[in-house]
Amino acid sequence: MYRHIDSSEPTFSLGLKLRLLNWGLVFLVTLISGIGAALLYSAAGGNLQPWAIRQITRFGIGFVLMLMLAMVDIRVFLRYAYILHGIAIFLLVVVEVKGKIGMGAQRWIDLGVFQLQPSELAKITLVLALARYFHGLTYEQVGKPLVLLPPLAMIFIPVGLVLLQPNLGTATILTLVGGSLMLMSGVRLWKFLIIIVAGVSALPVLWEFMHDYQKQRVYTFLDPERDPLGAGYNIMQSKIAFGSGGLIGQGFMNGSQSQLRFLPEKETDFIFTLLGEEFGLIGTLFVLGLFLLVLIYGFAIALSARMQFSRLVAGGITINIFFYIFINVAMVTGIIPVVGIPMPLVSYGGTAMLTTMIATGILLSVSIHREVKVPRVFSSDSL
Amino acid sequence: MTFFNPTSPLSTRKASVPGAGGLSVRILLSRLALWLAGGVIDARRPEHANAVMEQSRGRAVMVGFMMLVAFSIVAVRLVDVMLLRTPDQTADEADVSAPAVADASASPVVPAPAAWRADITDRNGGILATTISCPSMYADPVAISDPVGTTNRLMQVLPSLDYSTTLARLTAKGRMVWVERHLTPTQRQTIHDLGLPGIDFRDEPCRLYPTGNLASHIVGYTNIDQVGQAGLEKQFDKFLNDGQPVELSLDMRLQHILRRELQANVEQYSAVGGSGIVMDIYTGELLAMVSLPDFDPNERHDPNDEALFNRNTLGRYELGSVFKIFNTALALESGKVKLSDTFDTAGPVRIGRFTIHDFHPVNYWMNVPEIFEKSSNIGSLRMVQVVGRDLQQRFLGRLGMTRPATLELPELANVTAPPRWGEVESWTISYGHGIAVTPLHLVAGVSAMVNGGTLVTPTLLKQTSAVPVGQRIIAQKTSDTVRRLMRLVVTGGAGLADAPGYLVGGKTGTAEKATAGGYAHKALISSFIGAFPITKPRYVVFVMLDEPQGNKSSYGYATGGWVAAPVVSRLVAQMGPLYGLPPESEDDPAVRAALALSVPPTNADTGAHGPQPHQLLPAPDNPDGAQGGATLVSF
Repeated sequence: MYRHIDSSEPTFSLGLKLRLLNWGLVFLVTLISGIGAALLYSAAGGNLQPWAIRQITRFGIGFVLMLMLAMVDIRVFLRYAYILHGIAIFLLVVVEVKGKIGMGAQRWIDLGVFQLQPSELAKITLVLALARYFHGLTYEQVGKPLVLLPPLAMIFIPVGLVLLQPNLGTATILTLVGGSLMLMSGVRLWKFLIIIVAGVSALPVLWEFMHDYQKQRVYTFLDPERDPLGAGYNIMQSKIAFGSGGLIGQGFMNGSQSQLRFLPEKETDFIFTLLGEEFGLIGTLFVLGLFLLVLIYGFAIALSARMQFSRLVAGGITINIFFYIFINVAMVTGIIPVVGIPMPLVSYGGTAMLTTMIATGILLSVSIHREVKVPRVFSSDSL
Repeated sequence: MTFFNPTSPLSTRKASVPGAGGLSVRILLSRLALWLAGGVIDARRPEHANAVMEQSRGRAVMVGFMMLVAFSIVAVRLVDVMLLRTPDQTADEADVSAPAVADASASPVVPAPAAWRADITDRNGGILATTISCPSMYADPVAISDPVGTTNRLMQVLPSLDYSTTLARLTAKGRMVWVERHLTPTQRQTIHDLGLPGIDFRDEPCRLYPTGNLASHIVGYTNIDQVGQAGLEKQFDKFLNDGQPVELSLDMRLQHILRRELQANVEQYSAVGGSGIVMDIYTGELLAMVSLPDFDPNERHDPNDEALFNRNTLGRYELGSVFKIFNTALALESGKVKLSDTFDTAGPVRIGRFTIHDFHPVNYWMNVPEIFEKSSNIGSLRMVQVVGRDLQQRFLGRLGMTRPATLELPELANVTAPPRWGEVESWTISYGHGIAVTPLHLVAGVSAMVNGGTLVTPTLLKQTSAVPVGQRIIAQKTSDTVRRLMRLVVTGGAGLADAPGYLVGGKTGTAEKATAGGYAHKALISSFIGAFPITKPRYVVFVMLDEPQGNKSSYGYATGGWVAAPVVSRLVAQMGPLYGLPPESEDDPAVRAALALSVPPTNADTGAHGPQPHQLLPAPDNPDGAQGGATLVSF
């Protein structure tokens, strides 16, 4: 069937794929993970236990998984995009029901080294499903409002399920990723403007419906000093740690806030603070720069793709990684309220590592198969 | 397969230029984006003929720009937080080693009170143990340029510091080393005023015992990290850490009275230690419990310190004559002995290498009240000969004298009961030898004798609801008789136990301490166990002195009646008004009726057990006296 797709494109052999592999991106991901492991080593007071060694193990497994996914033909992702998203939604329902019945509130499925959170899976499958949908639309079709109903369903079914958990952070990211993808697909800009205006004007109404604890979080966000020992403690300590880092930092394993254990969650969501305290502004900008390089790679791959599906997948995955980084850094520096979003590849935790490695794997697959074209209308059997 | 017809017209063909209606800005933007992204506009490439692809390219670049802006915001924020916000905390100021920590000490970072270890209070809410915030001093060795000078100056404020240890800490690796924990605010301020670089403080929760020694053995203590090490602190460690306060049955006021009076007699008679208990005989609540010597839980202790030993629950003693309360109750309850029965108390009685004799030998026939009042050992063993060994063992077993006591303390001892409870053992046990129990055992047992005859379980926790009536041990009638007999002891000889206005009943006990191979004549365990108000008892009071030495004030005596009974007297005199108990007088006919003991005239033909030859002990032909065999004495 290949010959029908693009006569100029030969069948991909494994050797060719390895040659086409974006080794620069692979190196970047490895470098960032290495920095993460070093920070975890410091967070444990100069010990591989309990975090660094396990994080390295997870990276090893994730690395293999990433390379395997990179080798998968992009048309396979195209073919199974809806099915995969369906599975993710099914798993979300399963953990929701299981959590209700078991009272355990487990939002994840245990895979041994990793704990798979269906909500994390959904972030990737949402990108695949939306990309496939918009792949099949003409320019005119994208402009019709009714055509947007199916993709909205693809976004808001998992968002609703995640909100039930309740996990506001992940639901926000899912919505933002879905919205960004629709933006890239060419949905008319005035539609976004309407939604933004409607959203802003709905805020006072929403405020009335918010629980006291949620309002409390907003107050604390606006003024962390009002509750320095409670909800504002984390962010206060984070700011103090950043401040003590200064330009060049206090030095590896010498961060007083982190080493004195004033800083909670220093190995997970607040690891960027530890980086700031020990390596200063230079260290944080360096890591941020590395991530920026990853994002540039992502967009370059998206732009180089020759069919809509590949471009949207690459763009969507890049946006996904972006939101992780942005929300995390904005959170620890107090730009936005504290929501539990880790820093990809750096924070301790199996789920974030697994998700990022899967995403990077698909991104690499797009990169390898960037010349592959599938017509707007196609038969799944032909892939 | 029709889907792959390359000639099939794509519907985008007509819309090769997106948005002709005034959207040229967007085209410009996408072109600009394309240029920035290094893309080359190549009309020959098929995707540029595709409006969808063209648009998504533009939009992707647009999204990319938005992200770049977002990244820039974050980067600017980092500069703001890390450099601009904290002008006094730049990296150049290396001598301010841990400026952030200095901040923390200015506004102490302490856990929320909810997470603190909860209080231990007495029954009236008085605080016996609580958690406060204490400054602890730590060093940042990196910032200390002159460790020797710093050590010397610290030692001027804290002389207890060890020079070499402190110096080692100030030069240790790391950025944070504890130097001395749990200082007083004054010490903190004094050290702070020295202005030593690299020395700083951190507040942390610490345990405080405001009453010091008062209930040290009961409350126990924690280590510096607030982990319970002894007493209730250990028993309820998790409970307290969960923020659950523990309310005790203890009455701090009574505890203080008992401790003060016991301490006075321990000193007066140069005893090595003492023990005292006040218990509610219906609820089992321990209102006071003192073991001397005691300790201050606020200070650190060597775990081998003898003062940590709780005599009331860990000390096993052969308590001697106080056991005659049980023996008499058993004899009466068995139905085999009546009050009027008489027994031959002629002695001494020899068993093996032991000789049993009475302290005040009467060598005559005595009835049960006389045996009890005069505390005749031989009379007691004659009584148990009638009752029998099995009954005695079962009776004391039901009273809990053969198993460890139960109480909410980790420090509980088992009893020492004879491994083989034979005939001879039953004789010695009848007057309280050959069985060693804790004071707690005795108090619980005697309570059951005077509360109407039902078992009580001692407890250190305040009982807020009705305590269920325990298992019946003796009949109400027997209990009533025992109570009257105990009054007889006080009116008959141990008058020192009586308090003005309050009537006490009880029993003295003076036992020689068991030593390796026998008994020490000069080392006594002198005790008194009393019940009051004896007309209708509510409380049992036990006082014991370990190795008291007789002196002039006691005419050289160190017996329970002389050294322990006065403590009970003084305690009752203060406790009565404190608890609002109405004073009683023996002149009151009602009181006299409540204490009267009717003993029918002795009739040797009908009631006496002594004359029957089989009741006499076999006379062992063992000329042991010369061999230095120990003598069992009990008064």
